[in-house]
Amino acid sequence: MITKINMSKRINTITTVKNQLQVCMLSVKYNIMRGMLNRVTFLTNIIFMMLNNAAFLIQWIILFRLKEDIGGYTLREVMLQWALSASSYGLAHLLFARVFSLSELIINGKLDSYLVQPKNVLLGVMTSATSTSSIGDLLYGLCILCIFCFSFRNLLLFLLFTVTGATILTAYALLMGSFSFWFVRADMVGNNLVSSMVNFSTYPDGIFKGAVKFLLYLIIPTGMSIYLPVHLMVNFDVGQLFIVLGFMFLLLTAAIFTFYRGLRRYSSSNLMNART
Amino acid sequence: MNVIEAEHLSKTFRVKQKEKGMRGSLKAIFHPQTEEINAVNNVSFSVQEGEMLAFIGPNGAGKSTTIKMLTGILYPDGGKVEVLGIDPTKQRRALSYQIGTVFGQKEQLWTHLTPYDNFRFFGAIYDIGANEIESRIGMLSDTFDLGSFLNTPVRNLSLGQRIRCEIVASLIHRPKVLFLDEPTIGLDPVVKENIRSLIKQMNRELHTTIFLTSHDIGDIEKLCKRIIIVNSGQIVLDDSMEHLKYHYLNKKILEVKLQEETALPQVNGITLLKQKGSHIKLEVDTTVIKINDALHNIDTEHVEDINISNVPLENIIMEIYSSEKV
Repeated sequence: MITKINMSKRINTITTVKNQLQVCMLSVKYNIMRGMLNRVTFLTNIIFMMLNNAAFLIQWIILFRLKEDIGGYTLREVMLQWALSASSYGLAHLLFARVFSLSELIINGKLDSYLVQPKNVLLGVMTSATSTSSIGDLLYGLCILCIFCFSFRNLLLFLLFTVTGATILTAYALLMGSFSFWFVRADMVGNNLVSSMVNFSTYPDGIFKGAVKFLLYLIIPTGMSIYLPVHLMVNFDVGQLFIVLGFMFLLLTAAIFTFYRGLRRYSSSNLMNART
Repeated sequence: MNVIEAEHLSKTFRVKQKEKGMRGSLKAIFHPQTEEINAVNNVSFSVQEGEMLAFIGPNGAGKSTTIKMLTGILYPDGGKVEVLGIDPTKQRRALSYQIGTVFGQKEQLWTHLTPYDNFRFFGAIYDIGANEIESRIGMLSDTFDLGSFLNTPVRNLSLGQRIRCEIVASLIHRPKVLFLDEPTIGLDPVVKENIRSLIKQMNRELHTTIFLTSHDIGDIEKLCKRIIIVNSGQIVLDDSMEHLKYHYLNKKILEVKLQEETALPQVNGITLLKQKGSHIKLEVDTTVIKINDALHNIDTEHVEDINISNVPLENIIMEIYSSEKV
């Protein structure tokens, strides 16, 4: 009897998770469909994002012609870092773009429509917008990997670290955005910290020393999302892999906890708005 | 059976205060000041199954805050609330399957999608199977007459068509209670009337409980049998519409067109509201003077036309709004 009840509970949980994933996937699909409404804008957004990233690639190639080693990195490693930065940024902004404007939703009381639905509020909010240009970032990362350092092993590790990098970036943006439940001006600090995380991810970590390095591994976790994974792709170490995974789960748990604690303080508004 | 029960419900908001000008802005950085606003203060009421209730009040009275606490959007600071026996603060998701919400000022539909795709999306949100959702879309589309624009993107629909789609989206999971917050805002009189008759039909056929807030007297008068008026976060009146009219309609408006301009005698209980030539508009207090006696004071032999009407409900409600507490 107990086994039957347990089995039924398990089936219910599986159905709930399946339904939740289906809604999230539909939401992302509809967001991309919205982006595709204007075919020209959609394609130029993607292409220009790839070209924009490629401009920095030329800059690094010129630098490495002048100097063989920058902060302990060779051209191949810098390219790997750029590829991972672009892909994890692209994946985070493709699936969870709304997290990066969470403060605005909280400050202006725009979470109502997610709160009246029988689905996970956080996932509903996170998947409610997409940035089509991020497809360009994602593709750019894969292209760079294929051109400069392709191997089956590298591809697998790259895909894994794209997911962990995107999760860490999303969790960090969620944590920073959730502070807006308590402080209205938290969005300014939060947005700057998230931008810093993205900006620092394009420089070799060897050029940073002491307190800055500590800052980049813990306060602005670029180290965990990009630097350490790049080191792992060059010299694989199981212990360091668990550090990355452990940090990701820890940050994600802290961000989700902070969001739901803050949600209790949420003040709705009567601003006229539309689901756009 | 009560479907909504609110006991001593309260909600306070802390609002930032700032002195005027740049000096005030600078001062607010170093010494921020806040003021506590009691948006809802000790509100208690219950709503029965199948009832159509108007929950009204002036702007800032606490209507939307109350609805948001009933639907689980906001956490109350004090008191207890149950909707269909569910506590919205603890079981928000379980409650969401049982209730529907239409916020006239906020769209929940994806504007680039067609109503059909939107309804399919809402079907997924409420875990409705593919066959079942098709049948419900078909049924609601017939009821709300959406057939001609079911496959047109929402952004290309008129406001009236959009509101109809919003209502259908909130009915797709067959909610037992429907919260309507200004559902007819910005609509023309014909569309308003159409929406009202659809809401009535839904209440009659599906026995859905309707909790309505609106500033439109027509919505209240034509849809609801009970009215709760809130002001400054407190309930100032909770009565049946019939009783409200009976209790407050002791004044009649008498409009008379005479053959020629005549001076009217001063009579207790009769107030001259307006006189333009031979057209006179009077207010008769029937608790002081009977309408028949009031007519005797007018030169009836020279009356060309006469019209007796009730004081508009709008005026009654305005009178209640302006009074402190009934």
